[in-house]
Amino acid sequence: MPTVSVSVARDVTEAIKAPRAIFLPWPMGHHFGVPFHRDIQRRVLFEALKLLETATESGTIRDILIRWAEVRREAKTLTDQGRNL
Amino acid sequence: MTEADSKNTPAISTAQTDPREDGTQLRPGLWETINERYPGSMIRKDSYVPLAQLGKPLAEAQLTLISSCGVHARNDRPLDVCHPFGDFRFRRVPSQLRHEDLIIHQLKYPHDAADVDINVIFPIERLQELAAEGVLGGLTDNFFSFIGYSMDPGKFEQTVARDIAKAVVSEERADVALLAPA
Repeated sequence: MPTVSVSVARDVTEAIKAPRAIFLPWPMGHHFGVPFHRDIQRRVLFEALKLLETATESGTIRDILIRWAEVRREAKTLTDQGRNL
Repeated sequence: MTEADSKNTPAISTAQTDPREDGTQLRPGLWETINERYPGSMIRKDSYVPLAQLGKPLAEAQLTLISSCGVHARNDRPLDVCHPFGDFRFRRVPSQLRHEDLIIHQLKYPHDAADVDINVIFPIERLQELAAEGVLGGLTDNFFSFIGYSMDPGKFEQTVARDIAKAVVSEERADVALLAPA
């Protein structure tokens, strides 16, 4: 069955040799971003689904280079808008 | 230190690369750290499995979600987070549940953000949206969750991994699986 993994630990994903994975440089427990940030959560899912369709080699890890500082800044903006983070 | 000494001492740069800004693994060396603290606990593979190809377009495919985040329905029993060898069971999570129906029992990763919005680690509501929009053909009736911590990776593969794989294929009839290791 085709699988795709969402990883924040590239070294662990390399060691277990996942067939397909996207890597995000984000903290443990935040694989899909920050609370209530629907757009970033969906973006991670779309990146994973895209890799399901496009990977041609087992062991493919695609780096999604969205910096954590950027995600946190956007989370702060959500907080400023009154979201209860 | 004299003035002459200080002139001969190279300036120590206080500028350090901030992984939050440079896009590298935010917690570097995680694999080594876990192996030091929990020797023998990690599954390691020597070779890659062949790449399974999509049998149908995603817009026609049934997707399942499998996560080690330890989430379960609030009316279900929590897994055992205290056992020193781990809990070799899993939970089915009905895929139409919402954030407020779910709770996390896990000790090995920070889930304060996920407690506020479960989609941070288990994107069940976002996947419901993608299915409703036709991006996905649908979701399996149940998703799957377990506790990733285990001190017996061999037993883990022969119980949790095997049982979930069997359920995903023969009961849920999933076409693709999204894996979210917590």
